[in-house]
Amino acid sequence: MEISADMLKGTATGLKHKDLVQGKVLTTSCDPNLQYAWDDGVAIGRYLKELKHGRIIAKKCNKCDRTMLPPRMFCERCWRITDDWVFVQDTGKVNTFAISHVDWKAGRLPKGQRYFTPAVIEIDGASAGMGILHLLDEVDPDDIYVGMKVRAVWRPEAERTGAITDIKYFKPY
Amino acid sequence: MGLVERHSRTTDLTNWRGQIPVNYVYTMGRAGEKFFRGILKGQLLTTECQTCSVTYLPPRIYCERCFARLEDSYTKVPAQGTVHTFTACHKTLDGSHTDEPILLAMIRIDQTDGGLVHYLGEVKPEAVFVGMPVQAKFKPKKERVGSILDIAYFKPRPRV
Repeated sequence: MEISADMLKGTATGLKHKDLVQGKVLTTSCDPNLQYAWDDGVAIGRYLKELKHGRIIAKKCNKCDRTMLPPRMFCERCWRITDDWVFVQDTGKVNTFAISHVDWKAGRLPKGQRYFTPAVIEIDGASAGMGILHLLDEVDPDDIYVGMKVRAVWRPEAERTGAITDIKYFKPY
Repeated sequence: MGLVERHSRTTDLTNWRGQIPVNYVYTMGRAGEKFFRGILKGQLLTTECQTCSVTYLPPRIYCERCFARLEDSYTKVPAQGTVHTFTACHKTLDGSHTDEPILLAMIRIDQTDGGLVHYLGEVKPEAVFVGMPVQAKFKPKKERVGSILDIAYFKPRPRV
């Protein structure tokens, strides 16, 4: 495994990158091949398939009249099997958001890079509080507010793989 | 709808694939550094707590019983010991079958209270017994990298 200078950032050992790569201290490393395949089931399987087509699908429970997103086969409130598939909009409003100054490895972002702005977006057509955790972009972090109306920015059809990242991000409209 | 809505053909099944990145680089620590530098030279190093009469192998920087510092007590011991327990493994690390069993043993190192888990070599599985005297077979010097596998295996040693 490649030892990068990044790995030592913020560690308390006082070791330098060259101490490791030039063998001043002995190391042991492991790079296990941990692959998995997770059965996405009926509901999430359909949800991902529809994302590939540029559509967001939800599922309704006719008893409590909720439109659930992401779709599920079972209503956890009524304790019964859900009913109809319904397409919902690719617009919504910000339910909650964060301005993240760190990257996915919890390291400080390089200077000049835009902060990550993850948000929970309540999707129009789904019941209140139902939505997607995604990223916001094309907006100044200072201008984001709870309730802001946003729209999905989709990847070009050829690039979509049937993943939540088929939506690149949400932007205000 | 409802219960009838389910996958009825295996070709309909979809899954989400991914890889979990959990790679790491681990330093040996203070005692580990000493120990594996010793291994590079073909030596086993211990630390000793004289108060508790315990000789640690692998060496520790503190006594586990009285917390005394032991770092001024690194001592070389012969790379030999006795089989404390062993197993003949008919599967390799990837789970495939092997006709030639891999012999693994917990070896108590002489003059210490510690031991090492390691391979046994130059011996037939049926000839191994608990209490068998063994000695370390080190790899050639230029093949050593500062790892426990710088010892290729432990092999039988004549009783004295």
